[in-house]
Amino acid sequence: MKTDQAAEQLQTIRTLMERSALYRRALAPVMLFAGAFGVIAAIVGTWLHLDSIKPFGCLWLSTAIVVISGAFIIARRQALKENEAFWSAPTRRIAQALLPSLSAGMGMGLVLMQIAGINGFTSLLTSLWVVFYGCALNSAGHFTLRGMKLFGWLFIAGGCGALVFVSFVGSINSHHLMGIFFGGLHLAYGIYLYLTEKRKNVV
Amino acid sequence: MNPEPFLQLDRVIHEKGRLGIMSMLAASPELSFTELRDTLDMTDGNITTHIRTLQEAGYISVSKSYEKNRPLTTCSLTAAGRKAFTNHVNLLEQIVQQARGK
Repeated sequence: MKTDQAAEQLQTIRTLMERSALYRRALAPVMLFAGAFGVIAAIVGTWLHLDSIKPFGCLWLSTAIVVISGAFIIARRQALKENEAFWSAPTRRIAQALLPSLSAGMGMGLVLMQIAGINGFTSLLTSLWVVFYGCALNSAGHFTLRGMKLFGWLFIAGGCGALVFVSFVGSINSHHLMGIFFGGLHLAYGIYLYLTEKRKNVV
Repeated sequence: MNPEPFLQLDRVIHEKGRLGIMSMLAASPELSFTELRDTLDMTDGNITTHIRTLQEAGYISVSKSYEKNRPLTTCSLTAAGRKAFTNHVNLLEQIVQQARGK
């Protein structure tokens, strides 16, 4: 056995242990929390007719901030309950994997809110947000459940489909689109995780 | 380089597939057959063989139960398995440390 093989084995062990340790940590409650807020935001946006890009962007960026903060609180509560460090190496890896795409999506949203003056841009923004979010989930999927990667792909494919639809076919209510993706899909995945969970969270 | 750590490596754990199973079980109290198979991207036959080898070595325990009328097989590390795994990781670290110290 060569030395580099020993180092490689140690890396494999570390990766698998981290992946296993992250297994389903707070994932179902986080998904349900995000889904519930997604649906609420879609209802509020539709009801208040926040259709121009600035109010639309403000509503959904605020929702994103609330959901991300809530997800951290839920994960932290679970870690405290299990007597574990919250900001552990696996958590850092997940955060690092999510960060680039989420930041890019948020940054792009802020720029579009500044430069765009017509309502049509909300559909474009929605589609791109869905794609960016899918990329973030797909990256995070390397350090957690395999299903997360597929979930990410679902967002990417859905976002691309929505982009094609609004570009060539017709318009879609952006709040409905956001509600379907960020509300419906999260809720569906959260329910799926609860139903398929074979036992209480491990680790 | 001191060849001692190389010679002490446990051949049962050393194999890539079994090392993966041991690593995952070291970080979780128990995992189901399906979770191990899916995460390690192995076939049913492959993972069954590795689990049997580890079970025969006394490193993991396998329990079978039913959940919603479906058979559920779960695996967990035994005390001997945890000790062997820790020892294996220590030996690998020694090998890497020795190379760095050269």
